[in-house]
Amino acid sequence: MPRHPRSRRRLPAAAAALVLAAALLAGCGSGGGSGGTVVLNWYNFPDDSGALQQAADRCGQASGGRYRIQYNKLPRTADGQRQQLVRRLAAHDAGVDIMGLDVTWPAEFAEAGWIREWTGAAKQQATADTLDAAVRTATWQGKLYGAPYNSNTQLLWYRDDLVPTPPRSWAEMLAQADALAKAGKPHYVEIQGAQYEGLTVWFNTLVTSAGGSILTPDAQAPSLGPPAVVAAGIMHDTAVSAAADPSLPNQMEDENRLAMESGTAAFELNYPFVYPSMKANQPELFPHFKWAPYPGVTADRPATVTIGGIDLAVGAYTRQSDLAFEATLCLRDRENQLTNALEGGLPPSLRSLYQAAELTESYPFAAEVLAALDTASVRPQTPAYQNVSIAISHTLSPPASIRPESTVADLHGQIEDALGSKGLIP
Amino acid sequence: MMSHRGRTLTGWGVVNLLVVLYALFPVWWIVALSFKDPSTLGDGDFIPRKWTWENYRGIFQTSEFTRALINSIGIAVIATTIAVVLGTMAAYAVARLRFPGKRLLIGMSLLIAMFPPISLVSPLFNIERVLGIFDTWPGLIIPYMTFSLPLAIYTLSAFFREIPWDLEKAAKVDGATPAQAFRLVIAPLAAPGVFTTGILVFIFCWNDFLFAISLTSTTAARTVPAAIAFFTGSSQFQQPTGSIAAAAVVITVPIVIFVLLFQRRIVAGLTAGAVKG
Amino acid sequence: MSPSTKAATGQGRAQLSEGARQERRLGLLLCAPAVIVMVAVTAYPIAYAVYLSLQRYDLRFPGQAHWVGLANYGAVLSSPFWWQALWVTVLITVVSVAIELVLGLALALVMHRAIFGRGAVRTAVLIPYGIVTVVAAYSWQYAWTPGTGYLAALLPAGSAPLTDQWQAIGLIILAEIWKTTPFMALLLLAGLALVPGETVRAAMVDGASFWQRLRLVILPLMKPAILVALLFRTLDAFRIFDNIYVLTGGSNDTGSVSILGYDNLFTALNLGIGSAISVLIFLCVAVIAFVFIKIFGAAAPGGEPERR
Repeated sequence: MPRHPRSRRRLPAAAAALVLAAALLAGCGSGGGSGGTVVLNWYNFPDDSGALQQAADRCGQASGGRYRIQYNKLPRTADGQRQQLVRRLAAHDAGVDIMGLDVTWPAEFAEAGWIREWTGAAKQQATADTLDAAVRTATWQGKLYGAPYNSNTQLLWYRDDLVPTPPRSWAEMLAQADALAKAGKPHYVEIQGAQYEGLTVWFNTLVTSAGGSILTPDAQAPSLGPPAVVAAGIMHDTAVSAAADPSLPNQMEDENRLAMESGTAAFELNYPFVYPSMKANQPELFPHFKWAPYPGVTADRPATVTIGGIDLAVGAYTRQSDLAFEATLCLRDRENQLTNALEGGLPPSLRSLYQAAELTESYPFAAEVLAALDTASVRPQTPAYQNVSIAISHTLSPPASIRPESTVADLHGQIEDALGSKGLIP
Repeated sequence: MMSHRGRTLTGWGVVNLLVVLYALFPVWWIVALSFKDPSTLGDGDFIPRKWTWENYRGIFQTSEFTRALINSIGIAVIATTIAVVLGTMAAYAVARLRFPGKRLLIGMSLLIAMFPPISLVSPLFNIERVLGIFDTWPGLIIPYMTFSLPLAIYTLSAFFREIPWDLEKAAKVDGATPAQAFRLVIAPLAAPGVFTTGILVFIFCWNDFLFAISLTSTTAARTVPAAIAFFTGSSQFQQPTGSIAAAAVVITVPIVIFVLLFQRRIVAGLTAGAVKG
Repeated sequence: MSPSTKAATGQGRAQLSEGARQERRLGLLLCAPAVIVMVAVTAYPIAYAVYLSLQRYDLRFPGQAHWVGLANYGAVLSSPFWWQALWVTVLITVVSVAIELVLGLALALVMHRAIFGRGAVRTAVLIPYGIVTVVAAYSWQYAWTPGTGYLAALLPAGSAPLTDQWQAIGLIILAEIWKTTPFMALLLLAGLALVPGETVRAAMVDGASFWQRLRLVILPLMKPAILVALLFRTLDAFRIFDNIYVLTGGSNDTGSVSILGYDNLFTALNLGIGSAISVLIFLCVAVIAFVFIKIFGAAAPGGEPERR
């Protein structure tokens, strides 16, 4: 019989000691503060500019010691944020008091019972002076479920050394790009064509600009129709024309920005973040970097650009809902939204701020952004939005292989399945 | 003779160089990205035109990344140690002893190694919340241990089967005490297996993203792969490529040190094994 | 009677000798901690996942969860998305593991026989495996994006390899190989070290060339190590996720079964379908393991120890 050295017997003890040590270390690591002022946990996208932390501190102080707001970061990507929030809310976590939701989530979260409704005076304050489209994004079945925080929308950015007058329609823009291509000049039209949410945004903008919508008003069935065929046609035409960047099917907002800055593009459809970036990175190109309203489907009908942004919501399982509502209203008040706009680069959701002198100084395009937001379109509002969006981006990808009539017919069936949350998503 | 040896040396030199190049040129790309100025990030140059330390300064500006580094190192070291210890014990038993349920053990550990972790993340999250270890070091150490045990057991038992245990008996016959026999004969033969397993388990814990992002919520326990998901560029649309690259370089350094230190152990053990013939 | 004689006469009877009983106790004791940890942590999650796969459970409509038996499996198996993902996964697995085996063997040989700079070479070879997968994937994605990447610059102008299904799959395989060949090389190196030097030298004396030595002496003796390395690498390759997620996000039909499971579980919040996909992935992987163990004879260490 093999005899085992003593060291073998010491191993289980060593293992136990290690586990104990680990537990103790962990206890030291997480400093939990209990007792004293109420701590409200605010979960929001990560912001390195300091604007959000400032807002949290300011509102905590303004409460006069009744509560303190703890700003917790969520992952950078919207999907990552949603996963974290869903996981905790589905587990009925009381630790999620305030959260920043992407504008497409309120319907889903409300239907699942994860966020609280805004009523009475709080509702009044949350919607006062706020952009209509932003309020619509936070509304589900006639009830308000969030307070719009910041907004966002796309403009047409172009180089005025290549393009003397900005185009008013997609057809015009593609023709101008074509002419530039023949002249051997930079001519790409930068647009988000990758298989992701951005593609759905592009489709939604085009469909609503053509006078249609993706879903019926009661969000029970797809609407589509001729406007969708027009929209699909435009996407196809762009992808196969000379104006298409070769990596169009793989481009997101940041890739568009980089391409524009590298000088190969003449037009760009993107959010305002590209402006300070161009200023910092390409001082030679910057003087020619101009903006204009998003081109419409036809020259006589202005575009209705899809609205983006964040709505602040209160968690359903929070133990201090009154304080949470109050804190949320403070977080999105005029002063904080202005700081957010100036330091974080995010357009506010309060109308009057767009006339503020401080804003127009760093946002010379403020007027165009406001105009776009006033006529903005909202993405389909349904709890099954994720499925619908994936169905859209999957069917329309890659844009070059769209055949307008059949693709839209295909899309019809896919969206129906998605709404019933039947079957798999790709 | 000299020219033959000279040719062999040059031959090996070339092969060595090729291997190192193949392994390292994408690594150099990451290093280059980490030193690039944001305005030149998109220019595709393999060697940066404008060098800057800004990316490195940026990630160390707050304590978040440093905290994540500490978490990563601590959690990986502890999980690896425990997994190797438990795995060695089990592998020794499987390789050398007769007892019922051996096949069951191997089958069960394979089952755990094979089940897709995406489905296990949510139930684990619920359990950890209830137990109160969500967002703590044990909250990550325990899953890491569990999911690396199958690999550890399998690898170690494969190694242990090949060890000639008769040598231990021979040493005892020669007058060595059991402790000496173990320390001087068995341990050196077992060392390469143990250290190989240690490296593999450590890298598994180091690299893991799914558990790290799902079972943590603050810097208390968040490890580096998850922390990278929280990096931001100057706006929410911009990919923080420079920061990610800088973080990648910083976190690869401990791995390089770890490997440099322990690959010698493997060498020592391996040459001992070869000599015995 | 002494214990050993008792054992001798007790042969064929169920009675165990004292020695054998002690051996059993020790064996079970040594295995116990590992078993307890594994069971305690994974029993409930795995059972719960299987249970969920038999329900229609959409996280957004928690009140509507109900039992549907095998309907989810039917839905998955009849969905073209599943078969497309399975085909892509099998392709990536087979190609990358095959290449990694050859390359890993070559690297193992180099690491084993390096005359100088051994430490540096070994460390260099292991670095790709040590870099966080997601970061390595980002670096590849950046390298292949036209205009911003150095590798894309080597291709004819106007081609964006990540947007084409076949080219993207090729690049995913490339990223996968670069990242995990060290894993194979390490396991093969250990197997290589157990090949007795004498036998190889004897073959050399007998006049065998390098390739003959490799094919007829070294590889057969390395078979157990090769099979273990292949088994684990194939199990992992089948569940590929990180590289695809970062390089293409699964778009243009480059998604693997893991990406499909992830999308249905985390994005669509369809716990029933997502769990069914996970169980199916598990069954596929179990089949692969079975093939390796039973047919190729990968050493399942549960066999009786040889008393040498």
